[in-house]
Amino acid sequence: MIAHQQRLPFAIAALGLLFLGVFLLWPLFNVFGASVLDSEGQSFTLANYGKMLSRPFYRAAIVNTLGIGAAATAITTGLAVPLAFSLARLPIPGKGAILALAAMPLVLPSFVSAYAIVLLLGNSGIVTQWLRGIGLDIGSIYGAVGIVLVYTLTLYPYVLLPTVAAFKAVDVSMEEAAQGLGSSPARTVRTVILPIVLPAILAGGLLVFIETLENFGVPFVLAEDIPIFAVEAFKLFIGETAPNPASAGVLATLLILTTVLVLLVQRHFLSSRRFATNTRQTPPLIPVGAGLRIGATVYCWSIVLLALVPFFAIVVLSFLEFRGPVLHGNFSLANFTTLFGRDTRPLANTLMFASAAAICTTLVGVPVGYVVTRYRAGIATVLDVVATLPFAVAGTVLAIGFVVSFNTGPVILTGGPLILVLAYTVRKIPFAVRSASAIVHQIDLSLEEASVSLGRSPFQTFLRIVVPLMMGGIVSGVVLTWVTVASELSATVVLYSGNWRTMTVVMFQALEGGGGGIATAAASTLIVVTLIPVALLYRLVRRYELGS
Amino acid sequence: MTGIIIRDASRKFGSVQAVDHVDLTVAEGEFFTLLGPSGCGKTTLLRMIAGFCELDSGEICFGDRRIDRLPAHVRDIGMVFQNYAVFPNLTVAGNVGYGLKPRRVPADEAARRVDEALALVQLSGFGERKPHQLSGGQLQRVAIARALVIRPQVLLFDEPLSNLDARLRVSMRGEIRALQKSLGITAIYVTHDQEEAMSVSDRIALMNAGRLEQIGVPAGIYRQPASRFAAEFMGTTNLLQARQLGLAAPVWVSLRPEALRFADDAPAGWPRLAATVARVEMLGPISRFDVTLANGTVLRMATLDAPDRAVAVGDAVTVAYEHARLTVLP
Repeated sequence: MIAHQQRLPFAIAALGLLFLGVFLLWPLFNVFGASVLDSEGQSFTLANYGKMLSRPFYRAAIVNTLGIGAAATAITTGLAVPLAFSLARLPIPGKGAILALAAMPLVLPSFVSAYAIVLLLGNSGIVTQWLRGIGLDIGSIYGAVGIVLVYTLTLYPYVLLPTVAAFKAVDVSMEEAAQGLGSSPARTVRTVILPIVLPAILAGGLLVFIETLENFGVPFVLAEDIPIFAVEAFKLFIGETAPNPASAGVLATLLILTTVLVLLVQRHFLSSRRFATNTRQTPPLIPVGAGLRIGATVYCWSIVLLALVPFFAIVVLSFLEFRGPVLHGNFSLANFTTLFGRDTRPLANTLMFASAAAICTTLVGVPVGYVVTRYRAGIATVLDVVATLPFAVAGTVLAIGFVVSFNTGPVILTGGPLILVLAYTVRKIPFAVRSASAIVHQIDLSLEEASVSLGRSPFQTFLRIVVPLMMGGIVSGVVLTWVTVASELSATVVLYSGNWRTMTVVMFQALEGGGGGIATAAASTLIVVTLIPVALLYRLVRRYELGS
Repeated sequence: MTGIIIRDASRKFGSVQAVDHVDLTVAEGEFFTLLGPSGCGKTTLLRMIAGFCELDSGEICFGDRRIDRLPAHVRDIGMVFQNYAVFPNLTVAGNVGYGLKPRRVPADEAARRVDEALALVQLSGFGERKPHQLSGGQLQRVAIARALVIRPQVLLFDEPLSNLDARLRVSMRGEIRALQKSLGITAIYVTHDQEEAMSVSDRIALMNAGRLEQIGVPAGIYRQPASRFAAEFMGTTNLLQARQLGLAAPVWVSLRPEALRFADDAPAGWPRLAATVARVEMLGPISRFDVTLANGTVLRMATLDAPDRAVAVGDAVTVAYEHARLTVLP
């Protein structure tokens, strides 16, 4: 028998597991299944793995993907940690603005940045041609260099934001203790402060690394002829020649295993290096000389602005005249009239899917986040692990699993809009669960007990007390899910069909077809669609903070 | 109004026996306190009654109705929490009226009862305020009003005063006791503060390591502790082998510091001992002294402040104790 106060969480956990079982574990199982079955689909074999790994092209894909990921992680960390330290501890003008601008690349689509880099620095890019005009050749931006550059510009906030928070959380009395014992400031930073913030840096670096493993859009735009995991899995599956689920399954499985391995290594490494500090106040600014201060200010503003230049450039370029892929310097609205004159459904689809996915993700993520935080036993633990799993699954891989699983059999979803909404929901659940869980941690358990003892059932208590107290976090979560779904590409390109194209698909197809004008107009539209809700949320949060 | 009967209640957390076969009967309208150090099982026992903690075995009844298998929200309990647990998203009136809706009280009557309850805790006119505008003491009054307004069968208090400052604690405990007596609702109160327990309770159950150590009226437990634990927990005492006082019996005894006096102030019949003053501590209304007997035993004594008495460390003194207040311990 289940104890009466456990019934509601048990029911939530069971429903959550059912949902994730059908729409996460079953597709992943089928991807794995495709990779270990022979060509008749009858008997078990590892031949597919042998075949793939024996081909230099796919071995190169593994090496490229991991190498680019490692390089991007190292460079973002190297840039972001000094930036974080400057923002936390040095007197730099405009910190609030810097932090707000630094968060923007997290919600803007990275493949738009990649495309902007092509338009600016590609073979016939504007900057390239201008430099050629004055006799400079910057070499090719395609391949690893360009991919790492875009990853650096778009992913550095993953390291920056947690590291700033960690630097601010360092208890100033520890620094004072070190200096009181005769340690120089430089030695104090090295021996006291860095070890305390290291877990935050590593956690951020891990996010960068996993993001690079799973990213499809950036290498699709920039890789040219070097093989990359996520792109090759897509090509094998969609296959211009013959679709090959077995080979795609092999790549997908290897990709998941790599990500899970990285996650496990990080967890093991961090488990012995957690420091709890109880800060009473944020540590004071360090007084520095004018030279260092100016240097740090220039450094901070340069990185933050440089990361936004590609997005700004795309918006400007979308108002210029294109003839085919070739750019002319005249102002024009033609790109937008072509884009929307042809069809406004993609924009409507994007808005509709993003809204539907944001609602679904919240409806699943909030109760699940509540249960995994409040009940640390049995089914809730399993749920916690399963709900984190999508984090380790690239959008391309999940989408391949969806097609394999829901193309035939009892549930047929391919060809409709629902399959996209479900895929988005599954992909965003880990973020919704994490953020819900973080808020529930802040809610005193005795509030719920008070409500129950006053005669409200656990379910009524959840609706009347827990949900209102979580509302701020829930709204932020809805907005963030909404904007990231609106610019989702990797699962969308596998799953869209006929009438259900989104803005990202339009842009993707325009890139393939060389329609530069439409691509920039679509990219600008995506940027606007993403930034409006974020700006509204920011205003709302500001007003709320000022009001209370 | 109902009595509470607990029969053979047990609960284990991992390898720790948090509550160990507890039998307890609380009379109708009684103010009953569970007292003990942290980890003694008093809070677990309270949470069993409230419905937030399952029993491994045993049963709990309100009157002749067994309630330990019922969900917490139908047990009809008013509970006051240590950290107030006032809902921050509701007004004061919203908090106080929160438990009336599930009891299907009509709106006009609910409004009247909320006003009454707020008046009872001296918060009339605070109904429209938000909790963050209130002080800690006011928040705890809201929590008490919220628990009273539903007219529960049983009131539970989980260390309700431990987040308040010392002065407020003293005045609030008086108010809580007066409210409980005027409404006549059976109450169980959990605290680790023996003085607070003695001040508010009709009876006290002293708990230790999941077991009931002693049950009785406050004065009874203080004056006749049944064990060394009870003697020491209920207040400062001298825990001695009887022979340390020159008595023949091979037993442990407890002698409260106030049962000792300087020989000049003591009645003639009290046994006298020669001693040296080892420590003097002036606390205002009372003074505390440590005196060392010839055999090396240190005795703690406490007297009311006496301006005409001059005692300094190192002085040779004669002390006397009241033999009737010597408690023999098992």
